[in-house]
Amino acid sequence: MEELQDASIHHMTAKVISAIKNTKCYEPLFKELQRLVCNPAVDTHDMRNTLEDAIKGAGLETEIRNIVYNLVRSRLTRPDEKTQASKQNTKPTVSDPLGYLKRAGVLWDRRVRKSLNAMCTELKVPLHGQPRISADREDFMAKWNELSNYNMDLANYRPVYAPKDLLEVLLSLKGPAKTTEPTDHIPLWEFSHIALPVKNLFELRAHYADLLRSDSYLGVPDLTIQCQRILEARHAPMCQQFLKKGCTPAPYRGALWASVLDSKLHDYDIEYWQKLRNSVWTTDHIVDKLVFKDIQLTASNDDQYFVFEDVLYQVLLCFSRDTDIGGCVEYEAFPVKGKTYEGPPSGVVPFHGICMFAAPFCYLYDSPVNLYYTFRAFYIRYCHRLTTINTHPQGIVSLCLLFEKLLQTYEPQLWSHFRELQIQPLRVVFKWLMRAFSGHLPPDQLLILWDLILGFDSLEILPLFAIIILSFRKESIMQVASLDSIEAILADLSSIKVLPLVQLALSRD
Amino acid sequence: MKPPPKSSALKNLRPKLGGSCTSCDDDSPEVPPPLPASPPSLTLPPPLVNFIRSRLKPPKSQKCIFYSTDWEKSALLTNFQKRGWLQVPSFGGEWNFYWACTQNCRYIFGIDHPYRMRSDQMINHFPNSVELSRKDLLIKNIKRYRKDLERRGDPLAQTLSPDTKLGIGGTRYKHLDIIPLTFVLPADYQLFVEAFHQNPVSTWIVKPCSKSQGVGIYLVNKLSKLKKYAYDARTFYPAMNRDTCVISKYIENPLLIGGKKFDLRLFVLVTTFNPLKAYLYNEGFCRFCTEKYDQAEIDNVFMHLTNVSIQKTNEEYNSIHGGKWPLQNLWLYLDSLRGEGVSDILWRRISDTIRHSLDAVAPVMANDRHCFEVYGYDIIIDNSLKPWLIEINTSPSMHSTTTNDRSLKSRLIDNVLDVVVPPNSLPDEHWDKIPKPELLKNFTVLMPIPHQKHSSTGAGGATRSGGSRRKGRSSKKKKSPPAEGAEMNARKGKGGGGGGTSTSTGTGTGKEKLRR
Repeated sequence: MEELQDASIHHMTAKVISAIKNTKCYEPLFKELQRLVCNPAVDTHDMRNTLEDAIKGAGLETEIRNIVYNLVRSRLTRPDEKTQASKQNTKPTVSDPLGYLKRAGVLWDRRVRKSLNAMCTELKVPLHGQPRISADREDFMAKWNELSNYNMDLANYRPVYAPKDLLEVLLSLKGPAKTTEPTDHIPLWEFSHIALPVKNLFELRAHYADLLRSDSYLGVPDLTIQCQRILEARHAPMCQQFLKKGCTPAPYRGALWASVLDSKLHDYDIEYWQKLRNSVWTTDHIVDKLVFKDIQLTASNDDQYFVFEDVLYQVLLCFSRDTDIGGCVEYEAFPVKGKTYEGPPSGVVPFHGICMFAAPFCYLYDSPVNLYYTFRAFYIRYCHRLTTINTHPQGIVSLCLLFEKLLQTYEPQLWSHFRELQIQPLRVVFKWLMRAFSGHLPPDQLLILWDLILGFDSLEILPLFAIIILSFRKESIMQVASLDSIEAILADLSSIKVLPLVQLALSRD
Repeated sequence: MKPPPKSSALKNLRPKLGGSCTSCDDDSPEVPPPLPASPPSLTLPPPLVNFIRSRLKPPKSQKCIFYSTDWEKSALLTNFQKRGWLQVPSFGGEWNFYWACTQNCRYIFGIDHPYRMRSDQMINHFPNSVELSRKDLLIKNIKRYRKDLERRGDPLAQTLSPDTKLGIGGTRYKHLDIIPLTFVLPADYQLFVEAFHQNPVSTWIVKPCSKSQGVGIYLVNKLSKLKKYAYDARTFYPAMNRDTCVISKYIENPLLIGGKKFDLRLFVLVTTFNPLKAYLYNEGFCRFCTEKYDQAEIDNVFMHLTNVSIQKTNEEYNSIHGGKWPLQNLWLYLDSLRGEGVSDILWRRISDTIRHSLDAVAPVMANDRHCFEVYGYDIIIDNSLKPWLIEINTSPSMHSTTTNDRSLKSRLIDNVLDVVVPPNSLPDEHWDKIPKPELLKNFTVLMPIPHQKHSSTGAGGATRSGGSRRKGRSSKKKKSPPAEGAEMNARKGKGGGGGGTSTSTGTGTGKEKLRR
């Protein structure tokens, strides 16, 4: 047994080491290490111990620990999935119970890209972009800090897709084994036929147990001092643990998030940002228009975020050029016949409301660079799962399923009310889920909700919170009988307080 | 927290309507007796009035409040209707509660008005609130207030050492440097020229005294643009001049967010000026310019003037949010990016600024017992996070440009009515105007200055109040505003009659907070 464990540790170490070598931070780390080896304190006779001390002394140990922590969390699991996926490619697809879901994911992705391509053809612009003419380039560079004044005709551009489109696709998902049952009299709009495992409330309570604990870390009752000490220690797991409290002092949130998401700035990050910016300046891409259009349709009209319009243009334009994103985001792999379409450089086709994923970060960071990297990390880790059809336990399908199961089990009255009205409950909450509540909750509350996403490393808080809101406004909902009036009841979330409600829901009975 | 004390003497005077008055639960006799209704100059000889008054008196059985309004705004109407009040025409004088425009209000208090107000009537303006709202009168009152304090040797009038560089306020007062240096034109033209020559590269802003909504405002940085006033100042008797203006030092370094300038619109409720009772509403908004701020372009009003009525005319104006950013977002932004507790400090500075402005006008206000008033304060924050008083509006717009606006103003009026109308009763001029603490909701007591825990640091106290401020409506039930009765005696007379102590907050900013 021990041998086995030993072997697995070795196996893991080998994987981590090879992964570290592939990261951008390897080179500066290696140079720093070389510098330490030359340190007179490092003794050639006792290399191991003295070098270790030197590494600890220079604070390099924490850095390496954080790198390992983040690698284990995110990237190391990926090669496995890929090999699994390739194995599945060889298997007959019928045997995979989730095959239809994966297929739907690939089809959805293709459909989105296809409509982007169609838009290009229609408007006679090349998909790969074209160099900006010099006058335009100068104009663009001059207005880089106030892009809201950059004029262009966007009348012919519309968002490629909106939450509603994805919802329709999700609602039309059909499992393979449903045909035998007599389904004529029951509207088949539940998700329960999807064979994805989701947590029940009991398991959710266990997962979010830390939220109800009131013990203080480090024996200091004052949150600010706790926060300062944790940030001084620079341990990513500790930062994450702190976010679980849901009462992060505002001045430290930015640093904590950057630590958890491993998005602290390095020199190469700033260089890369400049590279992205230059790429925006020199090439004109259809995605730019879509980004402008989206911000104009959403953030510019939002009374919580309109003041940050100009920063959002910069961030999302650079985001569209960032080829690193494609490499970090997992897409469903499933053999589907037919043409494949190319996407934008980042692989992310902007949809209606994509800028709302970035907008809340404007309350955390002043500089666009800081904002960009934390937003990008958050997008790669979480947001992209909300806009693609996938089988991930935190993908939008699982979240929808979780929502339905929770509603059915814990708010049966509401469930049957919706049923009587022939309204799919998902219709009411889908926009919340897909945008992770951004633009729906006021920013101070939204940031608390996102604290919890990061702290517990899970998007499951979204359907849970949607249930909580429905449950909170249950009496009003029970009194009305149309989708419009239900939506009117749920339109204004400005009085909703995240933490007390979530705590109440988790601690009940 | 104890419920506010009630005067037992007043208890008997109050008409009881449709049931018992639930607010009488304490009889500490610390409330001063009711004051004369209005200053002599505004009263009419009594015999003339008696006949009309008796004729106008509504039947004793009146169960609900009759209201009149000059503004058919939904924020007002929905709240009146929600309370089951009945609308009556304003000219009949049947009303108990009149939301009037300033002209009509002035007429009612005027010498040629046929009757005096009944004891169960109440109106939303003080007779001479122009003392606050007219820019020339406001600056006159503030200047006099500072001199009074200085003469009395009040600690509030402390000054910095004479070699300190003069800022926008043009004074060296530690606590009273609250308003940009201002002169009245043409009367003070020579004084202005002197000040201008001390710093010839400065920008100034000219505003007509009695106009609102940004009408007639322009920026100048050359004396030549003001030739007209130079001429007027020499030719005519300056005080006779009809279109007087004020000229103020322009705040050239405003706090910018997203590169744009903004000002704060805050709401302050005053229920009486003697003793001064004032409340600051915790919600409000920042009004943003539609164009990026550029100090050099002084002729572009869209960069410099935050008035909605001006910004509206810009093609960049967005009618969905109307350039209005909720106040709590500003606090979140400042706390996140400028550091711990910044919003609390700023909020206290703003409260102090408002207190001083009210203290400055209180001695000259005709404190009619029928009146209350909601003021719209315009405040600009500079980039060192110092608030500057720009203007006070006696009729802040109740017009709603956006949905958020509508719900904010509706909540504000609801809250105002809770505080100004005695509970379960008709308006009553003999009421001691001590609202039940739970009815204050989003209002924070500004005056009389609530007691704070002294021993602990200033920052501690502020964090608490800041917390409840941001929690807003959800926490209203838990919130217990401080008892008022006790402070009222402590605070004899206005203008901070001695005993003032100032404590540094220990935040190391060098700015001191006013605390008495």
